[in-house]
Amino acid sequence: MKILIAEDDLVSSRILATTLTKWGHEVVITDNGFDALAELQKDDAPRLAILDWMMPGIEGPEVCRRIRQQNKTTPTYMILLTALAEKAQMVAGLEAGADDYLTKPFDRHELRVRVQAGERIVELQSSLVQRVKELEVAIGEREEAEKALLNLSLTDDLTGLYNRRGFFTLTEHRLAAARRAGQSSLLFYADLDGLKLINDTYGHSEGSVAITITAEILGRTFRNSDVVARTGGDEFAILAQNASDNETSIIVDRLEENFRAFNAQSSRPYQLSLSMGAVLVDLNNDQSVDDLICKADEAMYAHKRSKESWAGALVEGRPLPGRITRYPLGNKTL
Amino acid sequence: MLSDTRLTADIFQLADSRIFRDPVDLSVLAGYESIQLDGETDLVVELIDLYFDEVPRRVQAMREAMRLTDGKSLASAAHALRGSSGNLGALQVAQICTEIEGLGSVEKWSHLPSLLSWLELECEIALHIFMQERRTRMR
Repeated sequence: MKILIAEDDLVSSRILATTLTKWGHEVVITDNGFDALAELQKDDAPRLAILDWMMPGIEGPEVCRRIRQQNKTTPTYMILLTALAEKAQMVAGLEAGADDYLTKPFDRHELRVRVQAGERIVELQSSLVQRVKELEVAIGEREEAEKALLNLSLTDDLTGLYNRRGFFTLTEHRLAAARRAGQSSLLFYADLDGLKLINDTYGHSEGSVAITITAEILGRTFRNSDVVARTGGDEFAILAQNASDNETSIIVDRLEENFRAFNAQSSRPYQLSLSMGAVLVDLNNDQSVDDLICKADEAMYAHKRSKESWAGALVEGRPLPGRITRYPLGNKTL
Repeated sequence: MLSDTRLTADIFQLADSRIFRDPVDLSVLAGYESIQLDGETDLVVELIDLYFDEVPRRVQAMREAMRLTDGKSLASAAHALRGSSGNLGALQVAQICTEIEGLGSVEKWSHLPSLLSWLELECEIALHIFMQERRTRMR
């Protein structure tokens, strides 16, 4: 261990230095309080210091006081050194911040025991500080990981909607709760019409814009309590809770109106439309989210097929607005 | 300094037998052999050499402090010499230093000139003994 010796009596200093070196310590030697203070304030300062009480410059107790005021995370263990007759003053020395004291001429056995005690304290403090640091790092990493996991695994970066995993996770919980409460729900599956064509014609960044706008329209069409997700490239899934069969048309009307309003004022060279299917969640039938999505997906494709071909129109420069007019609700046709 | 006529009388005026010690306890020096580092110069010889430098410096400081009636410097120098003398077993020097360090305020300094003269005498005795010890070890 690196130990500071601050002692202006060169004989005592030499004996201390030789003794400590013999015991395997590295010693830093100063003969006045100013240098001692400077040594103890360095980044790689000795963690244990043996300070003479009376020194030129700053006396030992004052060095202790100043070092203690700095309130370092790894405190220095300080042993004050003085003559036997001054033992009574040691209370003052300890009050100044010294950890221990040693009387001169010092007994080497006593020195050894006191230095060993200091070493144990320093090592204990170091391992505590190290442990606290490790815990802080671990907590930080965990928080980061949890945050990243939550964001990455449940939400879609581009739109801020839930992603496929988020949709499945939340929908399973919500449907279970809805079944217990006897509330019906609607599950919608939607596909943005012509995304490939938009990508091919105007580039992928424009495709991303189209997806973002669609997400925004879906977000404000449904209620905050509904689960709106982008489950794939151009695919969206929505769980509308506490919604019954006859609310489907209300929701669809609102969605159509929102798309119509957007397309009417949009300066984009294309118009947005969705193909959409919906299923009513059967309260008495424990269908999985996968099954429900499958059914809604089939309904969505039926809707898409029923639409007019708009691809040619887009190439001609003015695409037909996709229409969310009639599409099946499960096995029913609205 | 031996010609200082006040010396003998003043010392006996102190009349406290506790002040008289053996000049040097050589077993203290011998005790340092156990911490001698391999391959380094003889530690005892090195300590004696340090003490040879230390003594005149501290005695001079005490003389100067007396001239300037500077109590703090006097106590400080006496304290330092007491420490090194104690560490080397120069018991009588250490004891006189203790007396000087304990003098306190200037009003109690009447014995100081005698004590300093006595200190110088005892330092010479101690240094003489250490010098002999050094010669023995250097052989």
